[in-house]
Amino acid sequence: MAQGAKPGEGGQLPGHKVDDWIGKTRHSTPGVGLISPPPHHDIYSIEDLAQLIFDLKNANRDARISVKLVSKAGVGTIAAGVTKAKADVVLIAGHDGGTGASPISSIKHAGLPWELGLAETHQTLVKNKLRSRVVVQADGQMKTGRDIAVAALLGAEEWGIATAALIVEGCIMMRKCHMNTCPVGVATQDPELRKRFAGDPDHVVNFFKFIVQELREIMAELGYKTVNEMVGQVDNLEVRESLNHWKYKKLDLSPILYKEPSSTYTGLYCQEEQDHGLSDILDWKLLEAAKPALEEKQKVKVSFPIKNTDRTAGTVLSNEITKKYKGAGLPDDTIHFKFNGTAGQSFGAFNTKGVTLELEGDANDYFGKGLSGARLVIYPPKNSSFVPEENIIIGNVALYGATSGEAFIRGKAGERFGVRNSGSNVVVEGVGDHGCEYMTGGIVVILGDAGRNFAAGMSGGIAYLYDVNSKFRENCNMEMVDLDECDLNDKNELFTLIQKHLEYTGSTVARFILNDLDNQLKNFVKVFPKDYKRVLLEKRIIVGTNK
Amino acid sequence: MGKPTGFKEYTRELPAKKPVQERLNHYNEFVEKFNDEKLNQQAARCMNCGVPFCHSGCPLGNVIPEFNDAVYLKDWKEAYDILSSTNNFPEFTGRICPAPCESSCVLGINQPPVAIEEIEKHIIEIAFEKGFVKARTPNNRTGKKIAVIGSGPAGLAAAAQLNYVGHTVTVFERDDVPGGLLQYGIPDFKLEKWVVQRRIKLMQEEGIIFQCNSYVGVNVNINDLLREYNAIVLAGGSTVPRNLDIPGRDLKGVHYAMDFLKQQNKRVAGLDPFANPNIESNIFPEEILASEKNVVVIGGGDTGSDCVGTSNRQGAKSVTQFELLPKPPEDRTSLMPWPTYPMVLKTTSSHEEGVERKWSIGTKEFIGDGNGNLKALRIVDLEWKASEDGRPARFEERAGSERDIPCELALLAMGFVHPQHEGLLNQLEIEKDERGNVKASEKNYQTNLSKLFAAGDIRRGQSLVVWAISEGRECARKVDEFLSNGTSLLESRDAVLQVYSL
Repeated sequence: MAQGAKPGEGGQLPGHKVDDWIGKTRHSTPGVGLISPPPHHDIYSIEDLAQLIFDLKNANRDARISVKLVSKAGVGTIAAGVTKAKADVVLIAGHDGGTGASPISSIKHAGLPWELGLAETHQTLVKNKLRSRVVVQADGQMKTGRDIAVAALLGAEEWGIATAALIVEGCIMMRKCHMNTCPVGVATQDPELRKRFAGDPDHVVNFFKFIVQELREIMAELGYKTVNEMVGQVDNLEVRESLNHWKYKKLDLSPILYKEPSSTYTGLYCQEEQDHGLSDILDWKLLEAAKPALEEKQKVKVSFPIKNTDRTAGTVLSNEITKKYKGAGLPDDTIHFKFNGTAGQSFGAFNTKGVTLELEGDANDYFGKGLSGARLVIYPPKNSSFVPEENIIIGNVALYGATSGEAFIRGKAGERFGVRNSGSNVVVEGVGDHGCEYMTGGIVVILGDAGRNFAAGMSGGIAYLYDVNSKFRENCNMEMVDLDECDLNDKNELFTLIQKHLEYTGSTVARFILNDLDNQLKNFVKVFPKDYKRVLLEKRIIVGTNK
Repeated sequence: MGKPTGFKEYTRELPAKKPVQERLNHYNEFVEKFNDEKLNQQAARCMNCGVPFCHSGCPLGNVIPEFNDAVYLKDWKEAYDILSSTNNFPEFTGRICPAPCESSCVLGINQPPVAIEEIEKHIIEIAFEKGFVKARTPNNRTGKKIAVIGSGPAGLAAAAQLNYVGHTVTVFERDDVPGGLLQYGIPDFKLEKWVVQRRIKLMQEEGIIFQCNSYVGVNVNINDLLREYNAIVLAGGSTVPRNLDIPGRDLKGVHYAMDFLKQQNKRVAGLDPFANPNIESNIFPEEILASEKNVVVIGGGDTGSDCVGTSNRQGAKSVTQFELLPKPPEDRTSLMPWPTYPMVLKTTSSHEEGVERKWSIGTKEFIGDGNGNLKALRIVDLEWKASEDGRPARFEERAGSERDIPCELALLAMGFVHPQHEGLLNQLEIEKDERGNVKASEKNYQTNLSKLFAAGDIRRGQSLVVWAISEGRECARKVDEFLSNGTSLLESRDAVLQVYSL
């Protein structure tokens, strides 16, 4: 759980570096730049983070969830929160990283040395009796066995070495990673330049052997048999007295070298596993019910009641499907679960192909987060008296980072709808602010209004907006998108999706539009990212000339 | 970096050279110029590396990516300004430097490196053509007087730098024309002497006094200098050649390379080689000519190569060059990885002009004809035994390979051992290091006699022109600090690197 070279700064992969292969991996359009925004739009608070960790743990129970934090004053408090949010690993990243294509401002002005952050983190965790629940890692220009020995003594039992390993592979710090012109073939997609790559995995193996050897020598000198014994034994570190530069005179390192003692409540290194609370979740029932589908690919259709403490529904199930059937999943609609009630957060998160979750009721935040092929259908209880298209039925950050699948939502969604959607097709009846931000693929049909800042940073995919009140234009962020009229292709697309919406949810809006589509088409605005349009056009030209 | 993909589109090209038959008829330079397009392409190959190894490859810390960019953009004034900020004499290094910058060029990892040296030469020649190179006289004079002894590249660089900050500099030269090895060592076909004198003239305009035919320790008294000047820079070079003390060494026809080369330079300049035998350096009182002789050059370095080129121009019957060491590899090996300076086979333009090169050859004896003239050499093949770690360590003579080869002129080009001790250095009783060079640390260039500084080969031992310029510049800064209570306006190499590495 982190981001690139400099957490908090975001990153960009320019369009000319996004080749077919990268486009496929990132579920985006080759040739269109990829923007990683500085914030994660699904975590604006520590509770959000706890939920994300829970989601990820559901998605893969065998994986450790690691949270990367920048070394800074107060990082210890953050680390304590992260540990309470049930992270398995906390990584303290130092300021010297980002030697690649990071802008000079990031290289010079982000973060503090890892030593400061690590010392603070370790001390805070021990003090709050949390240290033995979490693994602490440190990184940031570690290059020698001595570096990792110091890190271990300051409180890290794991370490990251990146730049040095890259150098061993032949990186020469050209700082041209963003230009696609790396002359040694390390950071380029240019096949000609990649041929010049002369690295050898054995060199890296050898490099790490040397590092470990040096660490062993230092451990032997200090009298430690294992790294665990060594973690947090700060009293083995001394301030050098040979430094007589005037700048060191008033330097007081005692806060770093303070040793917070262990107690009966906590050790100095990770000794217990986090309790992720997976033992009594709804998914075990779903898994039991889905057995025929998982084992024999038989169709299953079952109903369950759901309540708002049932978080992340269907994710463990999807994890099991993926383990057996890989990315292909199951045939469409093999597993059809119907829920009644109010779903907790992350309903249908990361759900995969072959799963249909139908919810009669409403849902919390993160509805369909990271959707990976499933179909989600939600509509208000049949006996409810309010007008669906005028009321919010799902919370914020729905379909965040969805890569494929479908969702049909009868009612409005909250803020940040469809952010970073890269391939799912969705119909909804209104969205809050920041809709479709940083979207890179898929189709979003909105049969209602959109809040402000719609389509900010949107570089791919298409959004259709039923703008019958002509209010949309002032709410749309026009930096990267054009607002076009719909043509015949769009009409077909709209027809298919709205037809499905009607079929699954019985939406009255959908019925009205379908009955009058020729006439209503003029009320639809097509939000078309400029770069995406350019690339599609270029492709059409290339295909044309090949013919 | 004007063109990010330049290095992919163009490969390294060097300007054409005049054909061998034509250039052997004269002593002029024979390397042609790039046309505009080629120069532009070669500059476009620079990649503006994040970590420009060329900066540290160059002893001067030349800011190479920046001037390449300026050349690509055809901003000649900018290019000249950048180049001249670190290098006082690009017209020399642009011609005769072995270009350690190119050895450390990042492109050189897997492609031919950027043609930095040629670009440098073009920048300075264009700057002269366009009139950018003007005498830079200091605004105020400090009133401090400095004597520089020796007018080779180190002395010239020190003099130029010290003059810029307003000190009054006098350069003492024992030969009749200033320039040191630039003038009377390097043959005209590699560095035409008008290039040297153009620079000397410029420095005279800037206010530097050149006092030739002044042999400090012989016809100039060092005590007078110590009394008159606030500081003295010793820049006399490393002039004592390594001898080959084998039977027959005193035969007529066995000479040091420098004696031979200097005579020819004087002839080309239209001067009498034997005019001032008492005060000039490297003067052999008789004519040494290679014409119609079988010439053997002993020593495989750059001086040896100069002897080959000069012998061919003089019309030698045959030219052979011996090297004690085995033939070096053509490409880098794992023992000399990038970005180190590689000890690979180097074929100079003089080699192209006709020479038989032999490696692993030991010379056993000079054989005379009975009248005191050299007739032949007795040589033997050597077998190098690699030591355990793969480096050549020791040699043995191959049994039965001893043979005589005809030779009427043998030129010893086996390097220089240390500066000349007799005369000045002995009179000063100056401290020397274990190799016989003047002892002065690289940190402050100061000798054990506080007023005396040393720069160039006299301090570091035989080396490159570019190192001499670098030492002259760094030494000048230290002298200026010495004279100005520890502050100097002159840039040091490290400061330049810091500014440009942002």
